[in-house]
Amino acid sequence: MLETLAQAVINGLLIGGIYALVSIGVTLIFGVVKIVNFAQGEFVMIGMYITFFLANRFGIDPLVSLAVSIPVLFVIGMLVQHFLIRRVLGLGDMPQIFLTFALSLLLMNVALLLFTANYRTVHTAYSDESIHLGALYVPVAKLIAFALAMAFSGILWLFLHLTDLGKAMRAAAQNPDVAMLMGINPHRVFAVAFGAALALAGAAGSLLMPFYPASPMAGQVFVLMAFVAVVLGTLGNVTGALVASLMMGIAESLGIQFVGADSGLIVVFLMLLLTLAFRPSGLAGGRAR
Amino acid sequence: MKKTFAGIADPQSAAIEAGQSAAASDPKRFSRRDILTRSAGGVVAATAFGATPLRGYAAEPVNIGGLYPVTGSMAQIGQGCVNAAKLAVQMVNDAGGIKSLGGAKLNLIISDIQSDTTVTRTETDRVINGSKVSAIHGCYASALTLIASEVAERAKVPLITGSSSDQLNVNRRYTFTPFARASQFAQAQLQMARLVNEKPKVAVIFENTAFGTSTSNGLREKAPGEGVEIVLFEPYSAGFADASPLINKVKASGADMLFSVSYLNDLILIVRTIKQVGLKIGMNGGSGGFVIPDFYKTVGSLADGLQGVAHWNHDSDADAQKVNAVYQKMYGEFLFEYAGGLVAQTFMLADALERAASTDPQKVRNALAQLDVSSGYAAMCPGGKVKFGPDGKNIYGHPVGVQWQNGDLASVFPKEDARAPLMKT
Repeated sequence: MLETLAQAVINGLLIGGIYALVSIGVTLIFGVVKIVNFAQGEFVMIGMYITFFLANRFGIDPLVSLAVSIPVLFVIGMLVQHFLIRRVLGLGDMPQIFLTFALSLLLMNVALLLFTANYRTVHTAYSDESIHLGALYVPVAKLIAFALAMAFSGILWLFLHLTDLGKAMRAAAQNPDVAMLMGINPHRVFAVAFGAALALAGAAGSLLMPFYPASPMAGQVFVLMAFVAVVLGTLGNVTGALVASLMMGIAESLGIQFVGADSGLIVVFLMLLLTLAFRPSGLAGGRAR
Repeated sequence: MKKTFAGIADPQSAAIEAGQSAAASDPKRFSRRDILTRSAGGVVAATAFGATPLRGYAAEPVNIGGLYPVTGSMAQIGQGCVNAAKLAVQMVNDAGGIKSLGGAKLNLIISDIQSDTTVTRTETDRVINGSKVSAIHGCYASALTLIASEVAERAKVPLITGSSSDQLNVNRRYTFTPFARASQFAQAQLQMARLVNEKPKVAVIFENTAFGTSTSNGLREKAPGEGVEIVLFEPYSAGFADASPLINKVKASGADMLFSVSYLNDLILIVRTIKQVGLKIGMNGGSGGFVIPDFYKTVGSLADGLQGVAHWNHDSDADAQKVNAVYQKMYGEFLFEYAGGLVAQTFMLADALERAASTDPQKVRNALAQLDVSSGYAAMCPGGKVKFGPDGKNIYGHPVGVQWQNGDLASVFPKEDARAPLMKT
């Protein structure tokens, strides 16, 4: 029993790391650019296909392909911000929602057209290996994904707190008008924020590939959890999103284990509901940082 | 030669289109687009006219409709079905066509039903009314076939299908199902569990919509009668991010056999997670997406030893192996369940047409109802015999238990259909 419980927590924590990469991206964009990016999951999907094709055509390990997926998605992020998002800033919520939602649909359907609905897998030496600790096991691919997800989150945190650009980003998140008066170029800051958020999505795509099949709809699986985590961890709060993602991973896993395999999400949404009822601005208490 | 079944449904409309595009543009000013449209139209028209035999003395071809999802979520499998259908028609025609109709060739009219129920309805209607077909076949997914069957029944055109839903045998007169029914699959799966262990403890996990629920309920109902104990009966929501919690549950149940009623994506994760956990458990993945070459391509050698059930397998007899060899050479993978059954179906239709000596759908339907074959391509199926009962069901139809063995799918159950010994895992 205790073993089953411990294993459920391990499973939840590991997948929570992936949820974190996606949700940190969403919350970063929301915190800085002040829009909700509904297409975040599709950028994870693009990261997965980049990784798949590098592995399939050139035999490149998914972990090595992080060196491609991260910069490519960063550039895509800057371009999307510059050519699309910038045009709808200040136009109110509706155009922004429609824009990113349409982008999500567009990317999914283009992927369907280009890559078909087939599931693509990458098989690495460590894909099916596990570290066994007594009766417990820790899948190697997921452990690597978790460790790197935590590392990337840490790097982002350091970037936001220690570099001038990072500080400018936080300043723009706190008060865009004052930030502008202080000589911060909001468009540059927004572009970097969007790029960084998509870079994380790209990283998530590469890290998923050794154990999760790519398909045009793959991003949808992760984005729902990401949105819950973003709200739970206070909109715009990077640390909050990280903690909430890990909590949700564990809650989902425990739910499946002890409530029912079709009830994992019930536990997650119950958590969300209670949080919204008692701490409406999220666990971090309404502070975006 | 190949053009005769190129699947161009309506040569006239192609020609009209070509004519219109030429007329629409100003003849004096040629833009690059004009020239492209014109030449493209011309090519289409030429191909279309080429498709109709110009020899005046040849017998009128017999139109057969083939309705498959060539685009959309089932595109991959649908395309495989179309490939097999074309191959089968070519085989019939190369062997001299329908002799009682003066050597008439079969003309396959392919329609893309786009994995969509609404499109299936309109396309079935269009093919039947627009092309004077003698019979139709389709549609891979039972949900789509049920709709095509309704349309065919109303139009009084025979439909022959490999789809397994038992619904297809209820109040139908023009629908023929030569292969095992869904209700028979559950029983075969349970019996296979006993190949590994005399008193198997089975965990059933299933996705919680219509497909998973109905299949797993069938398993649960029949389990006691087959001497199988179900120790875990767990619905789950399809499309999960991680199979570990579910497999953790299977592990805790102490089952020695796992039945997974799942879509391909979940199945891939489940198979991989079992390996990661190091769980020693037999597995039966059922039918559909589990018994197509793509499954092995995505899962790799982890699939070896896994069991499934199918209504057709390519090793059943010499004829099946022969067709499989040809298909494998053309498409680089073995002839999968549904596509293989489709080849047999085309020969059943040819047999009926031969006896009907008519292209009239009603007469073809009556000849199909009288079908009784036990040799040749028309009889290549588990059991090797086809004869339809009043409900359109093959009275000899039963599923075959299969197992992945080194990338190939081998028939292992029941004894009379087994073509390879069960691989121990």
